[in-house]
Amino acid sequence: MLAAWAALSFRYGAYVLPSPLAVLRGFVEILASGEIWRHTAASLSRIAVGFGGAVAVAMLLGLAAFLSRSARDVVHDVLSVLNSTSVFVWIVISIIWFGLSNWAPIFTTFMITLPVVASNIVEGIANVDRRLLEMGDAYRLSGREKFRSIVVPSTLPYLIAGMKVGFGLALKVSVVAEIFGVTSGIGYIMNYSREILATQMVFVWALVMILVMMATDTIVFDALSRRVARWR
Amino acid sequence: MALKLAVEEVGKDFLIPVIDRVSFGVEAGEFVCLLGPNGCGKTTLLRIVGGLEPATRGRVTLDGEPIVAGQPHQHKIGVVFQEDRLLPWLTLEQNVALVLKPIGLDAAERAAIARRYLKVAGLGGFEDYHPARVSGGMRQRTAIARALAIEPDVLLMDEPFGALDAQNRRIMQNEVRRIWRDTGRTILFVTHAIEEAVAVGTTLVMLSARPARIRELIRNDGRTDRVKLIDDLNTMIMEEVERQQGAAPPG
Repeated sequence: MLAAWAALSFRYGAYVLPSPLAVLRGFVEILASGEIWRHTAASLSRIAVGFGGAVAVAMLLGLAAFLSRSARDVVHDVLSVLNSTSVFVWIVISIIWFGLSNWAPIFTTFMITLPVVASNIVEGIANVDRRLLEMGDAYRLSGREKFRSIVVPSTLPYLIAGMKVGFGLALKVSVVAEIFGVTSGIGYIMNYSREILATQMVFVWALVMILVMMATDTIVFDALSRRVARWR
Repeated sequence: MALKLAVEEVGKDFLIPVIDRVSFGVEAGEFVCLLGPNGCGKTTLLRIVGGLEPATRGRVTLDGEPIVAGQPHQHKIGVVFQEDRLLPWLTLEQNVALVLKPIGLDAAERAAIARRYLKVAGLGGFEDYHPARVSGGMRQRTAIARALAIEPDVLLMDEPFGALDAQNRRIMQNEVRRIWRDTGRTILFVTHAIEEAVAVGTTLVMLSARPARIRELIRNDGRTDRVKLIDDLNTMIMEEVERQQGAAPPG
């Protein structure tokens, strides 16, 4: 694959497709300068707020769906509307509402990841084994106890699956939103590299994104799902 | 002896009448088996007694107080379902300890009681196992330990060994019989297996085909000839099955 890449790069020139070596050199460069941490941290901190907020709100929606049937229907409708809204809609709206600031990518990330995480939680809650809840009733467990001991543990795998997909989406979306109005972050620096015709740096930052995604998948989410499935 | 549990004129309709009118009393310490053809409403009747399902007519009282579905009561009712209904994410000990929470004991007491009843059910040493790591028979024994741990006023068992193979079933019948002798609990036990009912029950309540009525109430005190009793009950069940099929609309 590397050989093919190198050959194509030679054929079409470094502006269209930089060589593997140039990308590697660029990667070492941002690693040495510490630039990699500055922009990755900027993107990740926006994701932390936007995606973290989405997870928190999704949990509240899940709780509402558990407590009331009509809330479940409302949540369901809201989520299907959100699910079918494009990233670009939220980018434009967030610029109108928040101007060219940190809050634009944060809000966009929030709106895009909320339905993904929330639908998973709501589905998890709908799939809680009724027979276990009835067991709880037979033994007069309180509503709070049933929620804590039965609903939460059965929903947890759905939450983690939703968070895994949601986080991948958050990374992709926030990078797009960072093209507008902010002066840090992976999206900003990619777009900037394009403007100064440093195509190899676009590839370098794409590589950084891939690494971040793979690292969080294995370090955070796979470990989490193993942890909640310990009893299997 | 005092009447522990009274079922008075209880009936249930699901579009059609499933249980017509059933009345019987259970004395403290009795082991009552509910028998009848499949689909005659045995499980429904048990669920009404446990307050898990509302009755259409009649009432159930436990120590003189009515048990009504959806309404809180002060009694302790242990239920063993057809499936174990253990929480797979909790250990066997935690599963038993969980149902002790509403009784208002602290964590150490709950753990001690859970361990004691797991031992009674022959599960000493398996306290920290998760349900997925033990056999189906052990899971069902854990469910029995859970029901016993609350020291129930009445223990309801709904075909608790239905999912077990013949060998485990026989072992469990002996276990339950032994636990009943050791603890003196009042038990209401639903089964469609006649041999099982005769092996464990002190009183056998034979229900008719749908809509259920009491067909026969038999004391099984060990004086009656077991083989003849099983024969008679088999005949009754076959009659009821035929009646049920005869009553079904043609086609």
